[in-house]
Amino acid sequence: MSDKPEKFIDENGLRLDGRRIDEIRPMKMEIGVLSRADGSCYLEWGKNKVLAAVYGPRELHPRRLQKADSVLIRYRYNMAAFSVEDRIRPGPSRRSIEISKVSREAFEPVVLTHLYPGAVIDVFAEVLQADAGTRTAAINAASVALADAGIPMKGLVSACAVGKVDGQLVLDLNKPEDNYGDADIPMAMTSDGEISLIQMDGDVTQEEFKQAIEMCKEGCRQILEIQKETLRNKFTKLDDVEISDDEEDVDVSALVESTLDSSEDEDDMEASAEQEEDETGIVEDEESESAPEDDEEEDPDSAESGSDLEDVEPVEDLEESFTDVDEEDVPEDEDDVENA
Amino acid sequence: MGNEVMSILKKDYIYNLMLKGKRADGRTFDEMRDIEIKTNVIEKAEGSAWIKMGGTEILVGVKLQVGTPFPDSADQGVIITSMELNPIASPDFEAGPPKENAIEMARVTDRGIRESGAIDLSKLCITEGEEVWMVFIDIHVLNNEGNIQDVSSMGAIAALLTAVVPGEREGRGEDMPLPIRDMPVSVTLVDIGGEMMVDPDLDEETVCDTRITIVSNQDGSISGMQKSGDGALTEEKLLKAVSLACQKASELREVHLLNI
Amino acid sequence: MEREIVIPGQFLSDNKTDSGPGTYVKDGKVYSLLYGVKNAKKKISVIPFSGKYIPSFRDYVIGTVIDVTPSNWIFDIGSPYDGLLHVSEYPRRIDQDKMGEVLGIGNSALLRVKDVSSSMKVELTMRERGLKLLDMGRVIEVTPAKVPRIIGHGGSMVSMLKKETNCEIFVGQNGRIWIKGKDSEMDLLTEAIELIMKHSHTSGLTDRISLFLKDEDEFVSEEEEAVLSEDDLTEDTKDAEDESEIREDTYRKVDALLEDDN
Repeated sequence: MSDKPEKFIDENGLRLDGRRIDEIRPMKMEIGVLSRADGSCYLEWGKNKVLAAVYGPRELHPRRLQKADSVLIRYRYNMAAFSVEDRIRPGPSRRSIEISKVSREAFEPVVLTHLYPGAVIDVFAEVLQADAGTRTAAINAASVALADAGIPMKGLVSACAVGKVDGQLVLDLNKPEDNYGDADIPMAMTSDGEISLIQMDGDVTQEEFKQAIEMCKEGCRQILEIQKETLRNKFTKLDDVEISDDEEDVDVSALVESTLDSSEDEDDMEASAEQEEDETGIVEDEESESAPEDDEEEDPDSAESGSDLEDVEPVEDLEESFTDVDEEDVPEDEDDVENA
Repeated sequence: MGNEVMSILKKDYIYNLMLKGKRADGRTFDEMRDIEIKTNVIEKAEGSAWIKMGGTEILVGVKLQVGTPFPDSADQGVIITSMELNPIASPDFEAGPPKENAIEMARVTDRGIRESGAIDLSKLCITEGEEVWMVFIDIHVLNNEGNIQDVSSMGAIAALLTAVVPGEREGRGEDMPLPIRDMPVSVTLVDIGGEMMVDPDLDEETVCDTRITIVSNQDGSISGMQKSGDGALTEEKLLKAVSLACQKASELREVHLLNI
Repeated sequence: MEREIVIPGQFLSDNKTDSGPGTYVKDGKVYSLLYGVKNAKKKISVIPFSGKYIPSFRDYVIGTVIDVTPSNWIFDIGSPYDGLLHVSEYPRRIDQDKMGEVLGIGNSALLRVKDVSSSMKVELTMRERGLKLLDMGRVIEVTPAKVPRIIGHGGSMVSMLKKETNCEIFVGQNGRIWIKGKDSEMDLLTEAIELIMKHSHTSGLTDRISLFLKDEDEFVSEEEEAVLSEDDLTEDTKDAEDESEIREDTYRKVDALLEDDN
């Protein structure tokens, strides 16, 4: 294994990899990279290579895990066997289980969980190559993957870590700083500045801690910009496009019904604007109201989100912390993986 | 989360195409999907390959560690192959220890590499009876669009071809390329309504009665075979499959592996 | 009206009464909940690029039987929530032990959502006009959010599709479309639907698709229709990055179709 460096910061204030103390490593992301997942994001940060995928909302089995009034969020942080210098045994470790839990809890404040009661949103973060800061890298990728999957969230979550070397606080630790430094403080922030993940490992004064938070906030802000750019750049701006008013304020059920009628009545193919009239008389036991609540219904999903929310819902209390450990997982072993 | 039921309409669609000699993505029965391979994608691993066949995407990592040999092969290195069907790759995969599918596929890949003698294990001996190199081949499935078997076997070979024995890091001599002397290639066919098709995609795998995988070497000899699924093959079909698989294998080797 | 791509948490308006579907209000301001396109007509709404189908009352859906219990069929309707069809909601009276014979695992059907409870128990019915077992034809899957585009203004797009391809078409609000006709016509229709998906955010689509189906020689870009061109495409990540690539692809496919067609 490598030896501890003499100094972490040189006379010019530059770190071992040439960065300033408040500089994050280069980061790039790509979204929608997996065809089966509902949302996905591949991220490179320094030498970290992380792939995040989201499935959901989807059915949750076994039934006893289902929550009656909200969706269950599961987060699985997993490291590939070949992701670190000393190969790790495949499967969850105590470390990865802990990281999975706190990462899940980083997202719970922002996902609108009451929209999908009884269902589950599965977030998978695979670390393909580890280079310090994997848990924060995973959260950054997972945020974007959740957006890609169309999960309604109050905002994105961004994460970064601060450490202390040579008595100096530094942002976004690299490997030697993580291994030999005096503190490791990973933090995740919501886009409106609240802290949804904070852990501390090491030794800092209260004053140092305050400064660390400020430093980390700045790092998270920069990362949020990168996440936004990635999402926006997937499509260029859509130029002026006319969507006729009629298409918006549409009762889709009634439209489908009218096409049904015309296929039954054979050849009159032009379903006219008198579709409202067709609605009546077909169904005996239903009320004759048109589309549920919303007028503008192009998407049943978003319709619900919009109409249900007048004000921001209070953050749901976590009654239980469901971990992502399946019943069949191997019994935990004591091995602790080298910090990453 | 279990396997989704395939609608009868879809099954009929695939069968009807088959009756007309067609497949859903336009391939002929003996055509493989497009393949992309990149090696050395994980610098920290001793060898690695990212491979995409059609939509199936797999990352294979090769790690080497010093370990003890098996008593009955005291001067030989050790190969250990494992596969994770990660839940990231499909709505049908669950987190947890590998189930029978993953285990079967990993073992088939392993046998193909081992029986072909692709890795010269005798060159991986450090001290006879005490220390040898252990070669870990870890197959990390990222996205399943069918035929994980062939994609992972090909990825494994590509990763092995570019792997380096980390002598210096472990203080056991100099670094050297992993001694590889063959390129076994796995080719899988499925039987749909009596017709054999190469490189099944996801729907074809679901619909098929039987799957047969044949691993063959550079000289055309066979180093691995596995029938899977609840159907059965006639002897004639099996032999035809073997012959086609060997032919396809040499095409694949030529196009994708020889220039790595 | 400009269409802008927005992300979750993005500020949309100072005026809380502007809040429409896909948005939320905090401290009197409106923000986006989703990654999608901002639509600002009367209210501000956000149309997501992707998202699961969530059933609601009176929706028409296409489902596949995944289980048969003593008194219900359980349908997969492409949603986190399965739909239940009670035996009494079948068009004829069926003995419970005959249920699997009329609708077995793997069968697909046109259904309507009869009720959605607050705990998301979804009840289906088949006892309405037009609902039936689908024993022939194909089912195509599309993003549920795009279903209105396939139907078109007043049903114009789907009517045109039916006419030009001579196929029966049923558009389920759960993003599944059933088509039935000659194989070659179904192939062409599938292609047309894929084009609609790719270009769903553009206008004049009905005419352009109609031309495509009639003449089968080219899919007219918006530019040629004297409307501002789109630069990039929609949510399907398999799409080609620019218009000309798609059109070439379409030419090739259409050529192939014309060759195959007997």
